[in-house]
Amino acid sequence: MSDEKIARPLGHGSAGLKLSASQFSVPRGSLWARLPWIAGIVGLVGIAASAVVGWGTEQFYFSWLVSYLYFLSIALGGLFFVLVLFVTKAGWGVVVRRVAENVMSTLPLFAVLFIPIWLGRHELFHWTHEEAVATDAILQAKAPYLNDGFFLGRAVAYFAVWALLSWWFAAQSRRQDHSGDHAITHRLQLWSGPSIFLFAVTTSFAAFDWMMSLDPHWYSTMFGVYFFAGALVGMFAFQAIVFIGLERTGLLRNVVNTEHFHDMGKLLFAFTVFWAYIGFSQYFLIWYANIPEETIWFEHRMAGSWESVTLLLAVGHFLVPFFFLMPKTIKRNRGLLLAGAMWMLLMHLVDIFWCVMPVLHHHGVHLGLLDVTTFLGIGGLFISMFSWLLARHALIPVKDPRLPESLAFENM
Amino acid sequence: MKSSAAPTEDNISHDPVDGRAPLILGGHDFHSITEAVAAPLEAKPPLGWWIVLAASGSLLGLLGISTMWLIWEGIGIWGVNNPVGWGWAIVNFVFWIGIGHAGTLISAILFLFRQKWRTSINRSAEAMTIFAVMCALIFPGVHVGRAWVAYWMMPIPNQMGMWPNFRSPLLWDVFAVSVYGMVSFLFWYTGMIPDLGTIRDRSKTKIRRMVYGFLAQGWRGSARHWQHYESAYLILAALATPLVLSVHSIVSMDFAVSQLPGWHTTIFPPYFVAGAIFSGFAMVMTLMVITRVVFKLENIVTLRHFENMSKIMLVTGSMVGYAYGMEFFIAWYSGNPYEQFTFVNRAFGPYAWAYWTMITCNVLSPQLFWFKKFRTSVPLLFILSIFVNIGMWFERFVIVASSLHRDFLPSSWGYYKPTFWDVSLFAGSFGLFFFMFCLFLRFLPMVATAEVKTVMPEADPHHGEDRTAPERAMASLEEEPTY
Amino acid sequence: MALLKHSLPDGKYYGMLAEFPAPRELVHACEHVRDAGYKRWDAHSPFPIHGMPRAMGLKSSILPWVVLVFGLGGATSAMLLQWWTSSVDYPLVISGKPFFSWQAFVPITFELGVLGGAVAAVVGMLALNQLPMLFHPLFGSKRFEQVTDDGFFISIESWDPKFDLEATRNMLERLGATHVELISADSRVGAS
Repeated sequence: MSDEKIARPLGHGSAGLKLSASQFSVPRGSLWARLPWIAGIVGLVGIAASAVVGWGTEQFYFSWLVSYLYFLSIALGGLFFVLVLFVTKAGWGVVVRRVAENVMSTLPLFAVLFIPIWLGRHELFHWTHEEAVATDAILQAKAPYLNDGFFLGRAVAYFAVWALLSWWFAAQSRRQDHSGDHAITHRLQLWSGPSIFLFAVTTSFAAFDWMMSLDPHWYSTMFGVYFFAGALVGMFAFQAIVFIGLERTGLLRNVVNTEHFHDMGKLLFAFTVFWAYIGFSQYFLIWYANIPEETIWFEHRMAGSWESVTLLLAVGHFLVPFFFLMPKTIKRNRGLLLAGAMWMLLMHLVDIFWCVMPVLHHHGVHLGLLDVTTFLGIGGLFISMFSWLLARHALIPVKDPRLPESLAFENM
Repeated sequence: MKSSAAPTEDNISHDPVDGRAPLILGGHDFHSITEAVAAPLEAKPPLGWWIVLAASGSLLGLLGISTMWLIWEGIGIWGVNNPVGWGWAIVNFVFWIGIGHAGTLISAILFLFRQKWRTSINRSAEAMTIFAVMCALIFPGVHVGRAWVAYWMMPIPNQMGMWPNFRSPLLWDVFAVSVYGMVSFLFWYTGMIPDLGTIRDRSKTKIRRMVYGFLAQGWRGSARHWQHYESAYLILAALATPLVLSVHSIVSMDFAVSQLPGWHTTIFPPYFVAGAIFSGFAMVMTLMVITRVVFKLENIVTLRHFENMSKIMLVTGSMVGYAYGMEFFIAWYSGNPYEQFTFVNRAFGPYAWAYWTMITCNVLSPQLFWFKKFRTSVPLLFILSIFVNIGMWFERFVIVASSLHRDFLPSSWGYYKPTFWDVSLFAGSFGLFFFMFCLFLRFLPMVATAEVKTVMPEADPHHGEDRTAPERAMASLEEEPTY
Repeated sequence: MALLKHSLPDGKYYGMLAEFPAPRELVHACEHVRDAGYKRWDAHSPFPIHGMPRAMGLKSSILPWVVLVFGLGGATSAMLLQWWTSSVDYPLVISGKPFFSWQAFVPITFELGVLGGAVAAVVGMLALNQLPMLFHPLFGSKRFEQVTDDGFFISIESWDPKFDLEATRNMLERLGATHVELISADSRVGAS
């Protein structure tokens, strides 16, 4: 028993050294290898079509903002997930971490895609209208924060932080594919804590700047948390779909198994419930105190056909998935988990749409061509970059010291 | 014989990347774990126990006197006034409930996260929860004034034809805290059944055997029973997790549903929950530092357990700090002069002393946990845990007093000072808490013995085989590195 | 639920009790006992052993369904209670909130749902385990007292169709039992 006192190093050395990155990469000529091109073309066509259909119109910028925030939230969710896996020293998640790293590595793309939002700030944000600010005491009070210069400066800061964190964590992880160096794991664990703090602050203020200030009189201390909760629902849904897709094309069959899918399903379930808790808390407290300055935000989302969307969120984003994702058998069944994840991905889009669009369309839901083209445009580029990264590196961190533990993982 | 003195090995300087460090030190096997936990129950209690019992007993007496005098004479013996109609009582209520939440977190949430290290501390933490809830319930019970009609809060048909007001957060509290107490008790008791069986089977006297036998309900370690038991345990953990989130959220709604600046803010529910876990872990830390030394459990409640607890305190303390930041920013951003005044008043008004105590204890002191030296030094952990609890008490005090004493109309402004009876009731509640905890240590298994055994390497049916499961998985992948 | 006594068929012996040194041997032995076709048998350990239900061929527990029913029942009762008292029996205007303020009714509905589920989990688990059962023939064995400490056992009831005094004993010894004893059916031997 005495040699069990300290768990001996796995494989009497670095067991992971025997696997190499090329053994677990996307095969040349496969669908995944061609996806960057296909998605890239879809993306560029979508953007071109959007520009042709409605460049400069209010609808263009609002549709762009919805799709932008949707895909950005998934990328941010990926960043958070990677950081949490390191800070908790999780064993089970090593096999899924590389995909999340690739998701977060698309963040620099969003810096570029932000340009139309900056160009369209006049159409999007009421507080950019100088005549309005001149006659509105509340907007004047907020002017030190809500002004062009500081707004842009903050955006630059957010992207700098996100790009730095995502690049550094992903690059270190990929370096470990070749060296198997334990020091890398130490380093990433050490810095994941402060990184989470940076993530929390930048994500919250980005949500304030790009979503909450659409209605510049309104405010909610919970809003950053709300955006974060939805982002994670989107991320975990996306992740599950990616892995099911990989499995169906014959990749990672011996690596990512039912136990991992069960955990991915649990995360999706947990954050669906967390989103509902946060969303309901925000709604409920505002409803109860009944202060017009606050309730107006929800009033706008109960006007006309927006009421149906609100109901759809309550039932479709919470009630139904709550009962659907709860049973173990569903989470362990690929087909059912796929259905649940796709539904949640849709619901997350509805959530972002519901937060943003009522500012433009007061009387009810209005779906148009621009919504579709901007979605294809931004989504296409997102998928393109993601799949490009996926094909460039190993699909799993082949020399991560905790890989053996992740492979052997069994649920309760 | 197994080491009971200060361990000569540790599980914190080990490189966790090579493999998970052992949770239980000192070369324990199943039997020695049983001995370590059961022996204190069967022997005479150490002197330290008697001292704490006596001290807490006298505070318990103070609690009795304070309560009786309060019910006899009325709420006027407290310092509550206009405008501060809620004083120490509500602060203490939230304080105690918050402390209770760590027990449920350790039992339920850490279980769902598969954190094996919880098994050394969950039994004591759950006991702490139940006693904290008992202490908490005193305050709403007596602060109503006519405590003898407190049953009006229950939906019992009566001759007045009246029902409680279900639209009030104060009533949601009644249900939430009662349910929380009951579910925590059920979870604690269910977890104890196998260990009560252990004490029963070691009993030397007939009375002991009868009492523990009755409590253990005839548990005989049957695998068929274990299957249903594990299912119940998982379900209880899955239920207790949203329960703990909901209870402190509902407590936060006592304040957040109002229109008062400093109270009405949407982030309160998760912020209160994070704060509760923060203060609760601090109390667990305080209790375990003492308990493990007095009862010689240093190899079961190890420095690694303390390090993990301090990390959770760092996380939840940071969440609390985040919430402070958000509140402050949004108060400015809102442009609402009342909101803005409230926050300026907190930091620079008559209660500034309370505010800065809170900031120092809650935001600054847990930042020390970034450094491993602070996370693994028992004396520092003890001191910091007390700081955190002081800070968290002050947080609730700042929320209550600073928002109430200066609200919308300056002519109503006032100041609140506690009286002797405010303080004595609070001090007395500590008496109840520690007295009950002493009784728990004396008569019930203070560590979840069966659960600790499951996290030892010997409990694994594959233990002793040539290769561990991770090694086998890795080897099979290396042999066939295809998809 | 057998409250205090184990209602056994007539017979001199309850069955055979075999002790094993460690979880690994116990799990291995259970797989063989399962494959040998025994039905009325059990394994005993101080803690739940990973993989034991599979090794014994046990079906999943139905407890989650029981909990779901009572959880939903609790939540429904809470909503009905609040609806009836606030909207039907004695409606009062409270700060302008509607009589049926479903939003305000959510907290208590949630709490009572959790309570229903939790009570069902515990009571259900005890019922499925037929506990409390303070008297059981196995408590007659002195060695069995180790089951809550560090003992690992298999017990095979004598009423199992495949039970045979010699064959069963031989099988258990072959599977690595360190000690096999015959347990009498005297169920007055108690845990108290």
